[in-house]
Amino acid sequence: MTDSQSERTDFGYQKVDKSAKAGMVAQVFNSVAAKYDIMNDLMSLGIHRLWKRYTLDCSGVRPGMRVLDIAGGTGDLTEQFAKRVGAQGEVVLADINDAMLSVGREKLRNRGVVGNVSYVQADAEQLPFADDSFDVITIAFGLRNVTDKNRALRSMLRVLKPGGRLLVLEFSKPVQPLLNQVYDFYSFNLLPKMGQLVAGDADSYQYLAESIRMHPDQETLKGMMVDAGFDNVDYHNLTGGIVALHRGYKF
Amino acid sequence: MMLLPLLPLTLAEKLANQLLHADPASSARLQALRGKRLRLTLRELPQPLTLTVVDDGVVFAVHDDNDVDCHIQTALAVLPELRDSANITRLIKADALDIEGDPMLAQRFSALFRDLDIDWQATLASRIGELPAYWLIKRWRQSRRWLTRRMAEQRDWLRDTVVEEKQLLVSAVEFAVFSDDLQALRARLDRLQRRLDSLPAEG
Ligand SMILES: C[S@@+](CC[C@H](N)C(=O)[O-])C[C@H]1O[C@@H](n2cnc3c(N)ncnc32)[C@H](O)[C@@H]1O
Repeated sequence: MTDSQSERTDFGYQKVDKSAKAGMVAQVFNSVAAKYDIMNDLMSLGIHRLWKRYTLDCSGVRPGMRVLDIAGGTGDLTEQFAKRVGAQGEVVLADINDAMLSVGREKLRNRGVVGNVSYVQADAEQLPFADDSFDVITIAFGLRNVTDKNRALRSMLRVLKPGGRLLVLEFSKPVQPLLNQVYDFYSFNLLPKMGQLVAGDADSYQYLAESIRMHPDQETLKGMMVDAGFDNVDYHNLTGGIVALHRGYKF
Repeated sequence: MMLLPLLPLTLAEKLANQLLHADPASSARLQALRGKRLRLTLRELPQPLTLTVVDDGVVFAVHDDNDVDCHIQTALAVLPELRDSANITRLIKADALDIEGDPMLAQRFSALFRDLDIDWQATLASRIGELPAYWLIKRWRQSRRWLTRRMAEQRDWLRDTVVEEKQLLVSAVEFAVFSDDLQALRARLDRLQRRLDSLPAEG
């Protein structure tokens, strides 16, 4: 690999300078933050709630645990984790984007989720937490947007307690070719139109569709987690592989 | 389909928590169980259900393969019966129940709902609507009938076994023959003893 190549990364289908990706991703989420929850329900027909619920079921979280929700955005997972860890536990909602973090904080406060949640603006690639400090870490629909995914995975491993687990919920590759085609049509034709109609922003949703396609498929991500040092890595396809939940442990 | 069971699950969870919160006495019972996890494998459900007690209620999960404190395999109708520890052995013997882990915990989970001070039929109808309530109560009655049958079978089995056990007892004739044999044996032993006594002692 030549130097000039290694300095570039994908931003949807475009190749951009590595140093520029974070800023461009930030722009996307600045632009969608306010309408994010509505769009989520619309785009996934509400199914994202079930994907998240599945993630919670698999997390094995108990009262008293410390949980880190990276790229937590508007806090759907954080809210449920907060309920499960209780007053003795703690949930940290971390996101690189201040606009998303504010929407999340506001939403959770309005719903009375207070006391055991803290909000931290942080980059998944360099988490500002001590080694071995969380029982469970989740990153839902976030890893796709991270510039250096390997570095982010290593950073997560570092802050995970021994015995703890990482759950990565992310768009993946549909297993059925037919579903794949329908899904392609949906993502590249309907999705940007919906983005335009509801959020007045087709570009961000075009990026969303492209970034989903550029994201590593099930086996690749599994390999990346193993390489980063996670043990017992496995994954489950949801909705025919449109989404996959990867799970890895630190022993 | 991994996601399908999640819909009824979230509804059931909501309902369970509403019912718990309707009784002020629940809070202390929940407090005592906080952090405990119970897995239910019910005849009526396609998948095991895992319950975790959190600060202000219970959380249900279907895709949870993590450790639990107690695993119960049984039928819906048996759940309220668990409240009495006296029932537990009886149910296990009748093959209506299997418990792994702490049986006390099964008992306390059962009491959590069983001791609720509510009229189930009316409460369910008002919370989830007449039709689902009717369906649920019907399933419940089916389950109770299954349990009654199971327990009756157990009773019959016990009765049969006792009768058979009578057959195991020896008859009067058999006993007489046996006594005669024993008498003869004793006589031979006596004779043998006398002969032994008459032998000169070795120096
Ligand atoms: C699609 S949202 C997901 C939000 C939430 N987890 C959910 O499932 O609804 C992606 C989030 O990732 C955040 N993000 C992007 N790059 C990040 C990075 N390097 N570190 C932390 N968060 C990042 C974005 O700001 C955005 O809030």
